[in-house]
Amino acid sequence: MAPPAQSHRSSSPSQPSGKGEVSDLKSQLRQLAGSRAPGVDDSKRDLFKKVISYMTIGIDVSAVFGEMVMCSATSDIVLKKMCYLYVGNYAKVNPDLALLTINFLQRDCKDADPMIRGLALRSLCSLRVANLVEYLVGPLGSGLKDNSSYVRIVAVMGVLKLYHISASTCVDADFPQTLKHLMLNDSDTQVVANCLTALQEIWSAEASTSEEASREREALLSKPVVFYFLNRIREFSEWAQCLVLDLAAKYVPSDNNEIFDIMNLLEDRLQHANGAVVLATIKLFLQLTLSMADVHQQVYERIKAPLLTLVSSGSPEQSYAVLSHLHLLVMRAPYIFSSDYKHFYCQYNEPSYVKKLKLEMLTAVANESNTYEIVTELCEYAANVDIPIARESIRAVGKIALQQYDVNAIVDRLLQFLEMEKDYVTAEALVLVKDLLRKYPQWSQDCIAVVGNISSKNVQEPKAKAALIWMLGEYSQEMHDAPYILESLIENWDEEHSAEVRLHLLTAVMKCFFKRPPETQKALGAALAAGLADFHQDVHDRALFYYRVLQHNVSVAERVVNPPKQAVSVFADTQSSEIKDRIFDEFNSLSVVYQKPSYMFTDKEHRGPFEFSDELGNLSIGAESAVGTVVPAHRVEANDKDLLLSTSEKEEIKGPSNNGSAYSAPSYDGSAVSAASQALSELTILNPSVPGLTPQSSLAIDDLLGLGLPEIPSPAAAPSPPLLKLNSKAILDPGTFQQKWRQLPISLSQEYSVSPQGVAALTTSEALLRHMQGHSIHCIASGGQSPNFKFFFFAQKAEELSTFLVECIINTSSAKAQIKIKADDQSASQEFSALFQSALSKFGVP
Amino acid sequence: MPPLMAIEFLCRVADVLSDYLGGLNEDVIKDNFVIVYELLDEMIDNGFPLTTEPNILREMIAQPNIVSKVLSVVTGNSSNVSETLPGATASCVPWRTSEPKYANNEVYVDLVEEMDATINRDGALVKCEIYGEVQVNSHLSGLPDLTLSFANPSILDDVRFHPCVRFRPWESHQILSFVPPDGQFKLMSYRVKKLKSTPIYVKPQLTSDAGTCRVNVMVGIRNDPGKTIDSITVQFKLPPCILSADLTSNHGTVNILTNKTCSWSIGRIPKDKAPSMSGTFVLETGLERLHVFPTFQVSFRIMGVALSGLQIDKLDLKNLPNRPYKGFRALTRAGEFEVRS
Repeated sequence: MAPPAQSHRSSSPSQPSGKGEVSDLKSQLRQLAGSRAPGVDDSKRDLFKKVISYMTIGIDVSAVFGEMVMCSATSDIVLKKMCYLYVGNYAKVNPDLALLTINFLQRDCKDADPMIRGLALRSLCSLRVANLVEYLVGPLGSGLKDNSSYVRIVAVMGVLKLYHISASTCVDADFPQTLKHLMLNDSDTQVVANCLTALQEIWSAEASTSEEASREREALLSKPVVFYFLNRIREFSEWAQCLVLDLAAKYVPSDNNEIFDIMNLLEDRLQHANGAVVLATIKLFLQLTLSMADVHQQVYERIKAPLLTLVSSGSPEQSYAVLSHLHLLVMRAPYIFSSDYKHFYCQYNEPSYVKKLKLEMLTAVANESNTYEIVTELCEYAANVDIPIARESIRAVGKIALQQYDVNAIVDRLLQFLEMEKDYVTAEALVLVKDLLRKYPQWSQDCIAVVGNISSKNVQEPKAKAALIWMLGEYSQEMHDAPYILESLIENWDEEHSAEVRLHLLTAVMKCFFKRPPETQKALGAALAAGLADFHQDVHDRALFYYRVLQHNVSVAERVVNPPKQAVSVFADTQSSEIKDRIFDEFNSLSVVYQKPSYMFTDKEHRGPFEFSDELGNLSIGAESAVGTVVPAHRVEANDKDLLLSTSEKEEIKGPSNNGSAYSAPSYDGSAVSAASQALSELTILNPSVPGLTPQSSLAIDDLLGLGLPEIPSPAAAPSPPLLKLNSKAILDPGTFQQKWRQLPISLSQEYSVSPQGVAALTTSEALLRHMQGHSIHCIASGGQSPNFKFFFFAQKAEELSTFLVECIINTSSAKAQIKIKADDQSASQEFSALFQSALSKFGVP
Repeated sequence: MPPLMAIEFLCRVADVLSDYLGGLNEDVIKDNFVIVYELLDEMIDNGFPLTTEPNILREMIAQPNIVSKVLSVVTGNSSNVSETLPGATASCVPWRTSEPKYANNEVYVDLVEEMDATINRDGALVKCEIYGEVQVNSHLSGLPDLTLSFANPSILDDVRFHPCVRFRPWESHQILSFVPPDGQFKLMSYRVKKLKSTPIYVKPQLTSDAGTCRVNVMVGIRNDPGKTIDSITVQFKLPPCILSADLTSNHGTVNILTNKTCSWSIGRIPKDKAPSMSGTFVLETGLERLHVFPTFQVSFRIMGVALSGLQIDKLDLKNLPNRPYKGFRALTRAGEFEVRS
């Protein structure tokens, strides 16, 4: 007897040595094939086991195919199973030999034992050899009518397998209709569930070519069928329940009562031990209640506990998958989870991908009442051994600070981070302090005092260095040694590898120059010279630009480089809410785990039909465009509440009604400029031959910097047109739109009625878009479905860079259009509104 | 494809396989290819999960244990599979094998709880929660109908049930009514949050000065649960900036493992003294003070007490020929019990 297979495997699993074994096996099998001696089954079993294990570890044992088939005449079920397995594995590569097996498989399909019938049928369908399909139809047909549910279960799956081998054979034999009959009448739930799976797959594939199939596919989603399944759901196995729930999620109930019926029917599924069932139920509930804002809220409340339990039970993989879904929900409705913030505290042992999700959720749920505890907890993580998590948590603290109104305590914490003397902590904290100052300039005193103590030598990371340099430039007035720190940084220009840092350095030294000209003059010269010689295009261009702007006019330069800043109220969101909505539509799928909608990670051919193209998917105008693709207006309202930009914040921005454009600040303090010109004019004494201010200062700068460059003519100021004419080719990128929409106050809010023709013409949003474009009003984003549509338009004055932004919500059932207009030029908004209304009223009129 | 469906299914496959093969690793699978194939055949077809109920599988495919081997030798029956199809596939209680018979009818109900807690360096309880399971081991003949009720079901925060539990009685009276599967199973899992105290305290103190750090950890009973707390261990990972550590304790043993994990096993807390561990860390050169503080992970076990306070009121059995034996147990152990320093 040969030694046990395992030793062979470990010593030489390669092909050549396997060959000897295989021929050995072959002869042994041949000996046993005809034998009827008692105990022969046992030796067969040993041999079969050996064959199977060779097969599994990748040794080609197809050579013994004939012998295996010969040995298959046995009543031993384990032998049969092994034989079926072997045949199933090699039939595809040996279609000729597979023919040999048909005979005994067909015979077994008529065996008295239902288990053998089932197994034989399964193996028969798993051969997947195209020219054998004719032998399948008969056994499948009788299998579907078999007394034993086990055989029927197998047969139903067999039909699906047959369909994939040869669709026409399957359809010609009328199997789909048989399955449909079984699905609605069989007593065994597993048979029913398999029928559902098979039919869904077959009809979806057929739907593109056959009208009947697409009708049948629709019929699967009809009320009687869905309720037939839902009413029996408790009898199904847990996996089949997932299928049924998935089917129900595609069903569109006709009225609210139906929705409540379904939810009542399924409420106990939320308590199922199987997480897959729970999650599928949650998806169904969320989808059903999308149009009912208040019930949707209740659903969130209801699913909270089951989700949190799922997270804390099961394997790390399970909890991560659940956590990703929870993350999505928390991001959509943070206020609902704000009292459960402790669930998002990180455990020491958790893998960092879990911690990262939790940190994001903690950031999202922070509100006035829990901020203190959350920030305290986050500060604990800053001392974490896991450095990426420590960084992440510092960033989270910063994000919370940027969301909150009362940042007192948080600022203190951040400043403590700066004093922790750990490089990465300092680096992260610096970046945060910078952002914080941009939003809350009133904290500059406290922050600058601490930042001033940080030695720039201890800051190595580009982002942090850039942040530090930005602060040095911005607050050079308050930081005594700012010019000297900048100077020393410029001295090391060549050692600075990050272009970002060098760019910031240029800007900072410019700013510093306007505030403290005498001290910075030398550094500025050195920086511009180094910048002009820089190999990096952006750095070079910026240096050149600064140089020329200084040359043109110092006060203009200051207005360009260092205008008075408006505090930033909201930082742009990285992921557009349209994408988030799309992910939400794909709840309970991998999209949520990857945090990407499915079209981003699936091949084109596997994608379902989408309403939007990829380009549109990327078009992000941020929070305000949260209209999703299938969201009725009342949810839009709910959505708006989720947004970073809450209503009170909007009001805050209304206060200063200056138009937010950096280039036309109405008032600024010119004293620093005069000091700068002073410094320059002092220099001009060295070169008294040229009179006049402009050439004088330009030469002065040349002298100052020791450079000689040609002068450029200054651009002529454009005259503003008196009448409101719109630019038909206006362009505005989504980012700018988003930014402007946030910055500008609403200058006009009106409600128009839409003409009946207009309502009739508004079947899709595209129709209106084209129409408005004809009136030089362009759409940047749109969404919604009858009867509610939401649009964002923009228009520009014909000869001026003055933009109008419009949010337009049209409800076709009430024939009303609500518009909100925001404009750079407030005075023209009335005029624009009239124009917009006349354009809208012409919609649908031929 | 719903991600949880795949993950749950894989977990279930792993459970079934390790149940069958008495463990799950590469070698075990290699030795039992045939059984694994047989099982997978019944559990999944064409990518769709079919039967994952261990009871049904066990009827279709015999376990490769010594008993069945002996049996097959003695009886001469070479097939290790029953000749008939399991009846349960068609029965309305798919989790129960058809009509098992036991000479001694017995049922055991265990409350197993895990306490997850996070304690701050100042001893304040940041978070304390209990995740519990009701595990039942039933060996009952026929189709028994069981009713389990709790004395204080209102403390439960969220519950999840085995499919056998009927939903309505729980909804209206918080009573668990079910026909149990045969053998060991998880009847229900639950969560109890907002607990006010932990049974033991762990107080770490770290003071660093001029390149060394003095450590002192004290452990004691904070809130006597009434039963002995045993198997207490305190574990923590040494921060990477520590060159060497010297730790001793007045009770139990301290081990520093190669992966820089320090483990102090205490066992039971003695009556006469509070266990403490103390020693020094030598920090990397150039470091004055310790910046990264270790988190101490504590484990313990308390037999006979469910710390959440959940109590079983009574267990009624119907549909049984003779009076069965009923057993109840409770156990609490530490889950993620961590103390920051």
